[in-house]
Amino acid sequence: MVEENILVNPFGWGIMVLIFTSVMLMYRVLFGPTLPDRVVGLNTITTKVVVIIAILSVINKQYFLIDLAVVLLMVNAVGGLILAKYLERRGRSD
Amino acid sequence: MIEYMLLAFGEVVMVFGALGILRFPDVYTRLHAATKCDTGGAMTILLALALYTDPSVFIKLKLLLLAFLIALINPMVSHAIAKGAYKYGIKPKVVVDMYAWDNP
Amino acid sequence: MSRIPFYLKERLEEVQRRVLYESYDAQKLPVWERIVLTWILLFSFWIVITANTSLDNLIIGAIATLIIASFMRDMLMEDVRHRGHLIEKIVYFLLLYAPQYLIIMAFRLIESNIKVAKNVILMDINPGIIKIKTDLHSDTGVTILANSITLTPGTLTLDVSKRLGETYLYVHWIDVETLNREKAGEKIKGDIEEWLKKIFW
Repeated sequence: MVEENILVNPFGWGIMVLIFTSVMLMYRVLFGPTLPDRVVGLNTITTKVVVIIAILSVINKQYFLIDLAVVLLMVNAVGGLILAKYLERRGRSD
Repeated sequence: MIEYMLLAFGEVVMVFGALGILRFPDVYTRLHAATKCDTGGAMTILLALALYTDPSVFIKLKLLLLAFLIALINPMVSHAIAKGAYKYGIKPKVVVDMYAWDNP
Repeated sequence: MSRIPFYLKERLEEVQRRVLYESYDAQKLPVWERIVLTWILLFSFWIVITANTSLDNLIIGAIATLIIASFMRDMLMEDVRHRGHLIEKIVYFLLLYAPQYLIIMAFRLIESNIKVAKNVILMDINPGIIKIKTDLHSDTGVTILANSITLTPGTLTLDVSKRLGETYLYVHWIDVETLNREKAGEKIKGDIEEWLKKIFW
């Protein structure tokens, strides 16, 4: 069963604050002076999305979504490592 | 009651982490704010969720496992990005740089 | 040897005995202990992830994780110290070492969050990259030490270098207080390294 209005719960307001911080971090992703700045912003946004998915699964009582959060976290780790490897190799070739 | 206090602490930490990423001068100090505040805030909010739910023990254990994985994965990715950024050619704004002494 | 004074001789014997103990501790675990430790870890992960305690599920999980553990035994448990019996290790870890580490790291994490908030507001940063020496040599131990250093207030690990049998860490410190290697290492590592030296070599 899905609740109609998630803002009756304090955790729903937590989701609002997390979305606000993600919008603040989008500035760093879009206008970051260098490439590593954008990578840092993207990793931070992904961790916030993981927390948002966990909160939504608890509020709506759809507990299978926690597995999805675990998978997204692991994909984030692999993506971050690959981007770091790419940065390292591109710096060496120049 | 204590879970709402933990939630408020986590949200405040997250907001300060985002402000730090916006305000600090170069990549390495931004990584400080990103890693510490993200890990601390996410773990605190997940702990609050684990205290809040009560369907079964396994849901709480899954949330705690998610917090543990965040604490394991987030610093590791941050080391990788820091080393990659150094090799990419970004000079840190520091007073002393012993890494450049040893790897000219 | 007869011209060495007796206190020097005692000290030399003590150093030799310590070298013997360290080289004994640095041996690999026996094969079955590695398999059992990896199997316990993977099986508890299986139970938590599937969230199902019916009997057939447990049997399937036990068989699958046992096969994986017999292949992957060298990946996680290669660097554990060769000391004590298997059950002794598990009991010590669960009852003594893990709660100690969790309490230390929880307070460090809260302190580091508050410190980052203070730095954001006041902008009183004075960063620098410092090289410190550690006494740990195994890969898993150095990894956990670097993660812990990253979560403690004001520090971020950049790189690891191993040369001539010694391990050095490069640490980005947001507020440099000292350039002396021993003092900086003592300030940065704290008591985490003492804790890690009980488990990893």
